[in-house]
Amino acid sequence: MWRKPNEGKPSSQPANSPGSVPNQTKVMTPLPVSTESQAPVPQTPVLHAPIHQAVPAPPPIISAPVTKTPAISAVRENSAPSRIGSGLKIRGELSGNADLFVDGELQGKIALGDARVTIGPSGRVQADIEARNIVIEGSVQGNLKARESVHLSSTSRVQGSILTPRIGIDDGARLRGKVEMLRASEAGGSPASEPEKDSDVLRPVHARSTEA
Amino acid sequence: MFCGQCMREARKRRPMNWMAKTRPNATAAATARTTPGPSASQSSNPNVRVSNGLKEFLWLISDVPHGRILDLGPVWQSTVAFFVDKGYRISTEDLLRTWKDFQTDEEERQRASTSAEGEKVTQAMLAEKFLEKALQYPSEHFHGILAWDLLDYFDPQVVPFLLERLFNSLYPGGVVLTLFHSRAVERYNRYRIVDSQTIELVPSPTIAVHAHVFQNRELMDLFGKFRSSKTFVGRDQVRESLFLK
Repeated sequence: MWRKPNEGKPSSQPANSPGSVPNQTKVMTPLPVSTESQAPVPQTPVLHAPIHQAVPAPPPIISAPVTKTPAISAVRENSAPSRIGSGLKIRGELSGNADLFVDGELQGKIALGDARVTIGPSGRVQADIEARNIVIEGSVQGNLKARESVHLSSTSRVQGSILTPRIGIDDGARLRGKVEMLRASEAGGSPASEPEKDSDVLRPVHARSTEA
Repeated sequence: MFCGQCMREARKRRPMNWMAKTRPNATAAATARTTPGPSASQSSNPNVRVSNGLKEFLWLISDVPHGRILDLGPVWQSTVAFFVDKGYRISTEDLLRTWKDFQTDEEERQRASTSAEGEKVTQAMLAEKFLEKALQYPSEHFHGILAWDLLDYFDPQVVPFLLERLFNSLYPGGVVLTLFHSRAVERYNRYRIVDSQTIELVPSPTIAVHAHVFQNRELMDLFGKFRSSKTFVGRDQVRESLFLK
């Protein structure tokens, strides 16, 4: 009679609130971590202190079921990018979804549609680059197409067209080429070297005067 | 593909010349004319100047909603954002720096080659060689070109070659905005757009010395192929000129 309503409550109480102590014991008791830690402790309200310590404690059992998905995505976002260090030269096409940092020389094509590509200060790239975010600190000869943004740092040297919904340019950057903004909806689609539609925009300015 | 009515309306709107077209902000323009010129800008920042030339430039290209602009200065976030926000496509080519890099390469190449050849390289020859790699754009491609004060920094023998190339890459009716100093420049500046009538002079490390002060007659000869021109002279004697193809 007294216990049943209490058993129904656990999910409505925050785990670390003082009021939740009796319920937590129910939930946590099956866990080996808590039983181990509280083994020498008598089963009184004091018993729950070690359990509270166990919650933030190393992940294996307690945190795994709750934070599984975020943990995996966090690992992916925080993972170090694949790196082509200075002194390396690569010729060919790179594709995939892993972030990339290029500080060496690369010739060919980079197509990492959902990743971030960074060309480091020593990077020398002759390639079209297609990625989610592109950061240039070194030298690039080729077209850049980003789904989210392109950033040219003050040491960057770019020769080619830039297609992106957002662009950041630091003072001192050098660009020889065209900047064209894409709407977010357009940015996902077509390849980097897509030909522009000239016919509908090449309208003469001379509408304003011919007799002057 | 314009219908007859559209064409008639367009013809009504079309000015016969610069003076015939009324501006929406005519009062502001009149005020600007009565004030003592760009250097008397409202801003207290001495590196910022009100530019009637820029205002006119923007007005001239305003009929082309997705026009192409070529900026011959260095790339600036503010300039790119300014045009991109208005729907233009902007290309940039830092012409002076490219020229200086080219000159350096050429000098090194000549030094490395056998001096026995003794070949005299003229500025015109250099210009032709330079243009094999620089300013490579389709003809009649741009609706507006921002040349800033770059031409002052080129050898006068090189300038006609550059202008010939710019003229070709400009769409009929397109416009070039240039600035000319009336005396030798003490400080090397680069230019970026702040807003539709303000440009900022960004003091920069000197990459070239001021080479020539162009007289008005020289300018008329250099830009002889262009259909018409308009010049605003500032209190600081900087001439902001627009040349219409």
